[in-house]
Amino acid sequence: MIQLTEETFEKTLQFFIRSDQIDLSDVSFIDPYGMVGLLEIGELCMLEDIKKTILLPRSAEVLRYLERMDFFASARRSFSLEPMHVPSPASPGKAGDSDVLLEITPIERANDIHYIVGKVEERAQAILAKHLRYDSRAINGFIVALSEICQNIVEHSENKGFVGIQKYRFPGLGKNIVKIAVMDAGIGFRRSLSTRFKLAGDLDAIEKALLHGASRHEDEGRGHGLAAVRRFVEQWQGRISIRSGTAKLSLIPKWARGREREPRLTNFPGSQINIILPEVSST
Amino acid sequence: MLTYNLYSILKEELKNGSNNLVTRPTGQAVRERIERDMEQTPEGSVIGLDFSTVGVIDYSCSDEIVAKLLSRLLAGEYGEKYLMLTGMNDNQRENIEVALERKDLAIIAETREGTRAVLGNLNKYLRDTLEFVIGRKKATARELSEAAKIEANTSGTRLLNLYKKRLVRRIGGDGSLWAYEAL
Repeated sequence: MIQLTEETFEKTLQFFIRSDQIDLSDVSFIDPYGMVGLLEIGELCMLEDIKKTILLPRSAEVLRYLERMDFFASARRSFSLEPMHVPSPASPGKAGDSDVLLEITPIERANDIHYIVGKVEERAQAILAKHLRYDSRAINGFIVALSEICQNIVEHSENKGFVGIQKYRFPGLGKNIVKIAVMDAGIGFRRSLSTRFKLAGDLDAIEKALLHGASRHEDEGRGHGLAAVRRFVEQWQGRISIRSGTAKLSLIPKWARGREREPRLTNFPGSQINIILPEVSST
Repeated sequence: MLTYNLYSILKEELKNGSNNLVTRPTGQAVRERIERDMEQTPEGSVIGLDFSTVGVIDYSCSDEIVAKLLSRLLAGEYGEKYLMLTGMNDNQRENIEVALERKDLAIIAETREGTRAVLGNLNKYLRDTLEFVIGRKKATARELSEAAKIEANTSGTRLLNLYKKRLVRRIGGDGSLWAYEAL
């Protein structure tokens, strides 16, 4: 295995959950989804008083990237890292790196959302305006969507979570993209909504929340969040996937590939959200 | 009009240095402070919520602050008072409008340039009636009947409905005709 992304998550999840040691030595690429996925596995293990060991990638480039994304600060809490001394980044520090829109950031309380929104606002011109060609309205939509999606963790998961955002060049598309990964290992969509709805399963729960704005709260002002995130992603031709429990639902634009509905996956608590937003066409 | 600066309220209530109205707990803290302040204002007051120095407002905060305040105002929880939004930019207007439409509410919002418009849901008849009142600053049912060539009871009902939505002030009564005044 050489890449840790949403595409390889199902395989790595099965493998990592069973093994005592998470061997990343051959990893050549890891994106925010891969990073926050690892951290959530670590959080789950911590609940069972298990601290697994991560064998860090041999690639200096991957290590530098993990450092720039501030992965190690969170990883040290739930994993033993080998080698213990992570090399310092050769390139400029985390905040100075122009491809990082948001380092891996824990989400535990409402104040964390203020921090996240503030950080993304600060860097929005350098990443979203410059590389995705977002105007002020699109940047506002991005920030609001991010706020809403991160709030779900504080409001519904009954656990903590992580978020990370990075800009990449996507060769297949010939465009820049931004990847947002938000995860928690909490109660998940099904348990959260089951207090109000009769649900056929995890997929049904995700569909109700993402496509129909369902919320566990009866107040009609609730349930805007995810529905608005979906509208934003669709408006800017993005891709969103939500995995929770044993199912994943993806909304896939023309330029992307994948299956929309994936039931019967390996059970993983909480919710795992991946959003990919492409650069706006100049025409 | 009494103006509440939302940035000052946010700063005092949250103390985290943020100028963004994001998350429900933030919205709840800001709304509760506004409710406390509103209690001290006399009946008939028009209160402007000033957004000119705040940054982003998300949907959750829009619901907690604007939609909930307005719902409770219309339910009579704050007495005979009026609310409007001021100093708004396009992004803030767009996000608040989503929250208002969801609850079938409407409010008058003024942009940073001073242009006023209704945000949220309001049917065409009431929008026309509101424009009529704003254009004249003050109007009675009889004046509306004459101008729009509609029955007196229809014009009375439209003005009353605008008042019930707290989009116009009602003045007079006590033997004389009610008049309706733009906020």
